[in-house]
Amino acid sequence: MSVRTTQTGTPAAQFRAVTQTFGDFTAVDAIDLDIPDGKLTTLLGPSGCGKTTSLRMLAGYLTPTSGTITIRGKDSTRTPPEKRNLGMVFQSYALFPHMSVADNVAYGLKLRKVNSAERTRRVTEALELVGLGHLAGSRPKKLSGGQQQRVAVARAIAIRPDLLLLDEPLSNLDARLRLQMRSEIRRIQSETGLSVVLVTHDQDEALEMSDQMVLMKDGRIQQQGAPHEVFAAPANHFVAEFLGYENFIPDGNGAELTVRPEHLVLTPEASPAATTGAVSLTATVLDVAYRGVDVLITVEAATPGGEMVRLLSDTRAAGAPDLRPGDRVSVQAPDAHLVRLPPKS
Amino acid sequence: MRSRRPVVASLAVLGYVVMIVPLVFIVITAFTSGSTLRFPPEGWSLRWFSEALAYKPFMTSLVSSLQLAVLSAVFALLLGVPVALAIHRGRLPGRSLLEGLFLSPLIVPELVVGLALYQQFMIGLNLDNLSTLLIGHTVLMFPYAVRVTGASLALMDPAVEDAARGLGASPLRTFFTVTLPLLRPGLFSAGLLSFITSFNNVPLSLLLQSRDFRTLPVTMLDYVQQNYTPIVASTSVLILAGTVVIAIIAERTVGFAKIFGGINT
Repeated sequence: MSVRTTQTGTPAAQFRAVTQTFGDFTAVDAIDLDIPDGKLTTLLGPSGCGKTTSLRMLAGYLTPTSGTITIRGKDSTRTPPEKRNLGMVFQSYALFPHMSVADNVAYGLKLRKVNSAERTRRVTEALELVGLGHLAGSRPKKLSGGQQQRVAVARAIAIRPDLLLLDEPLSNLDARLRLQMRSEIRRIQSETGLSVVLVTHDQDEALEMSDQMVLMKDGRIQQQGAPHEVFAAPANHFVAEFLGYENFIPDGNGAELTVRPEHLVLTPEASPAATTGAVSLTATVLDVAYRGVDVLITVEAATPGGEMVRLLSDTRAAGAPDLRPGDRVSVQAPDAHLVRLPPKS
Repeated sequence: MRSRRPVVASLAVLGYVVMIVPLVFIVITAFTSGSTLRFPPEGWSLRWFSEALAYKPFMTSLVSSLQLAVLSAVFALLLGVPVALAIHRGRLPGRSLLEGLFLSPLIVPELVVGLALYQQFMIGLNLDNLSTLLIGHTVLMFPYAVRVTGASLALMDPAVEDAARGLGASPLRTFFTVTLPLLRPGLFSAGLLSFITSFNNVPLSLLLQSRDFRTLPVTMLDYVQQNYTPIVASTSVLILAGTVVIAIIAERTVGFAKIFGGINT
């Protein structure tokens, strides 16, 4: 497992052997995790992997069954949410419908006994940061989903939280808005310098937004690191598959080699390319799907061990070889893009 | 609508007829100038309205009924809201069993409740009959309060309360600044429902009556057994008018859909 985040100073939060069980079900299984200060960390994984449970434990809505959670160096395992000073943005936004936008943002400040002048200043500042200064007097119900989302972010950052926690913040937005909010959240993070933890099941979102990404499955951390590190070197079959490595080639010793579809090179058998990499197979074309920019070609190849595997190649349409189902091809994967995975556990 | 579903439409119309026609008879009879409850009326006058307003037993029992209805609605809410919160927000084992248990007063015949209260409280503990009636009505209203507030709670996004906690509000503070304001339409409808149910109640009020404290429906029942004057009809019309006024106020301030929207779950 490669844990190589360039971090300085103490982490904003730490999980140590944190477990959460619900009856017989272990949602989070003894995880150790450091949330770096001033960075954006994503918890990524399929539903039921324990990412939201981890976030809710960090926020204080769930008490771990065992283990400790430290926030800013202080053991906060059993601290109730109201004593943690964290800003949480919920998937449903959870705005107070009976209050104006400004009162929503001011709520946490009133509880902190911030005086009225300072409160107004900070509410305005937070709303301007999310670009909603002009909607201060509106009721949340009158706003669009994207605007409600921004109010939720403004409300969470107005209290100057030790960490900003975002639970699937973009999943209720339409595709275009989602892309826009990704860079928006990044901008807010870098302008405020906040330590952010974002939960998502969308690998593109995690890759684009994270400083550090943490992949989870079945309550365990599968891999963590900077997006480019994890993307280039997935630690196991699950991570590879989750990040879009479609091709898994058994090496005959129980382990696997994997390569992304865009790095699989197909050449008609009549003119085989010079064998350069560890993977060089012959295969039969099963399907050719033209998609405009690129062409997806599915082939069936025989491995050195004699197994048949389906492989997917994603080639730019411009230089794609002219292939039809039934054609024999040679399959090459350059060593630089080939990842060796440990045996599946 | 009618053309596409003739049977449903006719049943609906029949339903309205069955509900409204008796009322029409009562309202018309109330304006008679004659001295018996006869239809059609012999002539028109408002005399039975002034008679009704001047008839002491009705007016004192109206005050008693109102007192009882308001107090029992308030008590039912004071008890019902915490129970609804415990059922819907707490981590209680056997939640559905508990919920069923709290709805049981709806199933137990009121006469049984009445008799038990009569024996245990009025005879056994020597309580006066206002207190006993208050206990009885509160017990009767309690399931409504639990159910209706529970329905509004179930519709409320629990993340809203979590958000308040996260922003620094204690559980108590969260309840008063977030949960309670959002629960208001539910509370209003539960209160209104309790009030009306208490005000209309006969079995319990009949069993637990006394000479000093008697509710309006019981007094009216008593009255029609011995008299046949239209004063009962005019009193009914006055009550009906009062109910309509309450309904209009409710509609204007909260909105019917909002009030009774809480029940349909």
